[in-house]
Order: sequence, then C-alpha cells, then structure tokens
Amino acid sequence: MNRKIGYSSYTGYWFVLPCFILLLGVLGFPMVMAVLNSFTPIWTKGLKGFTFAYYKKLFNDAIFLNSLFRTVYFVGATVSLHLILGLCVALALNSAIRARRFFRVMAILPWTVPDVIAGLVWACIYDPLNGLLNDLLHRLGLIASPVEWLANPSLVMPSVILADVWRGYPFVMLILLAGLQTIPKEQYEAAKVDGASAFQEFLYITLPNLKQMIAIATVLDIIWQTRRFGLIWVMTEGGPARSTEILSVLAYRQYFKFFNFEYASAISVILALILLLIGIPYIRAVSRRV
Amino acid sequence: MGVRVSVYLFLFVVMVFNLTPFFWMISTSLKTDAEAHAIPPTWWPRNPTLEEGYGKVLMWTNFPRYFFNSTLVSLSAALISTFVGALAGYGFSRFYFRGRTFLLGVLLASQMLPGVLLVGPYFKMLAKIGLYDTHLGLILAFSTLTLPFSAWLLKGFIDTVPHELDEAALLDGCTRLQAFLRVVFPLITPGMVATVIFAFLLAWGDLLWALCLTTRDSMATVTLGLSRLVTQFRIIWPQLMAGSVIAAFPPMLLYLLLQNYLVRGLTGGAVKG
Repeated sequence: MNRKIGYSSYTGYWFVLPCFILLLGVLGFPMVMAVLNSFTPIWTKGLKGFTFAYYKKLFNDAIFLNSLFRTVYFVGATVSLHLILGLCVALALNSAIRARRFFRVMAILPWTVPDVIAGLVWACIYDPLNGLLNDLLHRLGLIASPVEWLANPSLVMPSVILADVWRGYPFVMLILLAGLQTIPKEQYEAAKVDGASAFQEFLYITLPNLKQMIAIATVLDIIWQTRRFGLIWVMTEGGPARSTEILSVLAYRQYFKFFNFEYASAISVILALILLLIGIPYIRAVSRRV
Repeated sequence: MGVRVSVYLFLFVVMVFNLTPFFWMISTSLKTDAEAHAIPPTWWPRNPTLEEGYGKVLMWTNFPRYFFNSTLVSLSAALISTFVGALAGYGFSRFYFRGRTFLLGVLLASQMLPGVLLVGPYFKMLAKIGLYDTHLGLILAFSTLTLPFSAWLLKGFIDTVPHELDEAALLDGCTRLQAFLRVVFPLITPGMVATVIFAFLLAWGDLLWALCLTTRDSMATVTLGLSRLVTQFRIIWPQLMAGSVIAAFPPMLLYLLLQNYLVRGLTGGAVKG
C-alpha cells in the first residue's frame, strides 16, 4: 500500500492510543488477573503461594471433563450443521431463482434475533403441554404423550442444538454466498463445454473456489459457538443434571454462584487457550493481508 | 426443470423452518394467559389481544426500564466504540509505525478472548472503584468489547479514502487530527453509521456481562430482564413473548438495513460482503 506517508512519524501512535488504553483497562488487566488468579487467590493474598493445584484438580474433576465433552459435542454439532445447512441454502440462493432478494431476507431473519430471545422462543415451542412442537408431533401421530424436550437429560442437548442451528446457520450461509458470488462464470461455462455434470461442477469448481470461505466461516463459527452463553442460559441454565453445562456456563457458575474464583479462572484460561489456538491461523491469515 | 422445482421446494421448506418460530412468538404474544395454557395449544389466537401480553409486560413489569437501560447502554457504547475505533482505524490505515503488525494482531486476538475469562476480574475491578451496578460500568465494557471490531471495520473504510486528500489538507495547513476530522471523517459516514449499528447490536444482544455487572432490577437490560422472567416459577408466556417481540424488533430492523455490510462487518473484513 501507500508506504510513503507518515512512515517515520509518531503521530500514528497518538491515533491508536485511546483504543489501546481502553483495551488494556477492560481486557488486558482482567486477562492478566484471571491468569494469575488461576494460580493463586490473587485478590486476597496477592502474588504469594503460586500453585498448579487448580489445574491438577481440573483434570481429575469429572464435572470439568464432562463439561469439556459437552462443549465439544455442542460446538461440533452446531458448527457442522451450520455449515451443511448454510452451504445448501447458499447454493439454492445462488442459483437462477426468482425473488432472490426476498428469499435472502427471509433466510437471514433468524440470525437478526439476539441469541437470548431465540432461546426464549424455542423454550416456548418446546413447552411440554402448551408448546408447538409436541402439539405438531401429536397431530401427526408421532407421539402419544408429551415429550419433555428440555427436562430430559438425553433430549436436552439435541433440543438446544436445534434452537442454535435455527439462529446460527444464516450467517455461515451469508459468508458462503459471498464466496459463491465471486466465482467466475467462465469456469462453469468451460465445464459445460467439457460436458461436466452438475455434481462434477460442484466438486471441481465450486468447492475448491469456496475453500477459503469455508475455512473462515468454520474458524469464526467455532469461536462464537464455544463462547455461546445466553441461549443455553435462558433455556436450561446448564441443566438438567449438567447435560448442557458447556465450559462458558460452568465457568460462570463456578465464579458467580459458588465463588470458586481460582477454579473458575483455571477453567476460563483453558477455554481461552483453546480459542486462541483455533484462532491463530485466522489471525495470521487476516493480518497478512494488511 | 426438475432441478428448478426442487430448489424452490427446498427453499420453501427452509422458509417454513425459519419463519415458524416467529409465527409462534407473535401468536403467543397475542394470546390471553388462559389461552396460552390451553391443552392442546391453539395455533392462531382465538381473540387476539394486545392487553394481556403487551399491556401487562409494559405496565406490570419493569420492562420499559429494561428497554431504556439497553438503549442507553448500547447506544453510548456504540458511539464511543465507533469514535475511538475510527481514530485507531485512521492510525493503522495511514501510518506504518513500529509494532503496527503486532498491534493489529493484538486487536484481532482480543476478539477471541472468552467473556467468562474477563468478566470475573472486571467485576472485581468495578466493585473496587464503585462502578458495579452502574450504567457506566456496562458502557465501558461494551465500548471496549466492540472496539477491536469497530477499529478493524473502520480501517477498511478509511483505506478506501485516497490519502492524497489528507495530504492536500496538510498542505493547506491542517494538523493530522484536523485532516482526519474534516476530510476523512465526512467521507466515511456510511461506514461509521454501519459500525455504530453493529456495535449497538452486539451490546444489545449480550447477556453475560449484564448478568455479572448489575444486580438491581432497575439496572437490568432487556435480555437480562427477560431471562429473569423465564426463571420465575410460573412462566407467563404471552408476556414473555410480547417482551421478546419488542426486544427483537430493533435489531431485526437494523440488521436488515445493514444487509450489505453484514458479512464484511462481522468477519473483520476477511470476507468482502
């Protein structure tokens, strides 16, 4: 880019200074304190008595390991469903259809709802006696008695996942749609001349061109989904019997409900490390462009 | 031809899936409390009424106050975040100082931090300086949480403004700050509006920070207020859904206005939407 201007000036620092003061105060300081807190009760005892005990406890703790597993389950399921559904809808919207703008607006509508509200609406749909879902299934003759979608430990996770997929897939769809629209039409025309089938076109033109967008969508979605809190909190608060207690919910409860600050900090630090690890390739790829 | 038909059919099924929860939310919000507890449930309200759902949530609960809190906190945070973000965006767009790449990396990485890591110590910090359970504590949190993304988005917009314009202003005797405020600022107004709206929406949708940083009911945001209504021992669905409709309406409208910036905004410019 334009490397000529202001190359040896300190003025640049003045412009970015307010931003980094805020970042240091509100993100930097709490982050450092959280890391220290995971080794010692920093707020009461200060910098004394560092110990790995909280981390050791973590990896012998069935509750933490269960929560880690729940997180992988929740994130794995929602992200793959977002991708599959998002890709299918993006392909449909990118094909020669009428009223494309209308369909596009309808397709992103769920994503415009805050996740807390999405959780409330689905909780209302899942209500065993007065909800839409049981009534629908009953009318179709699929169930004889009400199903407790959010109170049954083996059904609750899929129920929460469905609610999340409803709200979350449109954004992945939009990223993939943006990617589809940049693929040169000539490639498809050339394939037509060579007599490629629709499936071959998808496999040899669409997918390779879309690879980067799929990667970006996957990384961002994994990060967002791992941090998901509001939707699960309003639907189940992590229950029943910890069946939906993903790491963000566990850490919140340990800190603000049980006041196990050190233990909660250790959980959050692990969570942050997982996210940074996943995020590093993305950070590198994006900062290389600028 | 068969392909076209199956595409429309698929889209039809997807639309039904997408719209059904909206239908149920609005339908329930128009029912009376008695009808909402009918077994089996009615799909269309028999006597649609605004009084039971909307009337009661607005008159009997603190909902108007929640709405005011959310608006005040989200709007202030969005304006601060956009202004500070624009300054930083200008700095990154126009200057190649030492550590620039590193700071850009920090900016991106800070977006990956999970809220639960930060909110605990931030809560203790606020309690120490007397900002716990205040608007200001929340505003500071949301301004900063949305800042990396605001700075990144605005840097992208500022990159599209030719730097010859700033240089002309400098030759005319403007300082750098004046060049930014008088020349670049007006040219990126659409980008600033988009950034304000995005930051507003991120703050509006939050639950975790409001949950941890406030305690009085009069300080709750809409998401927090509604989440408390659901954990009461008897859920009054019409009121809850009426509140949800009201709380979901502003973001829905704003997102649809922002459609064209949506992808670029939320991928930090990694994808040109």
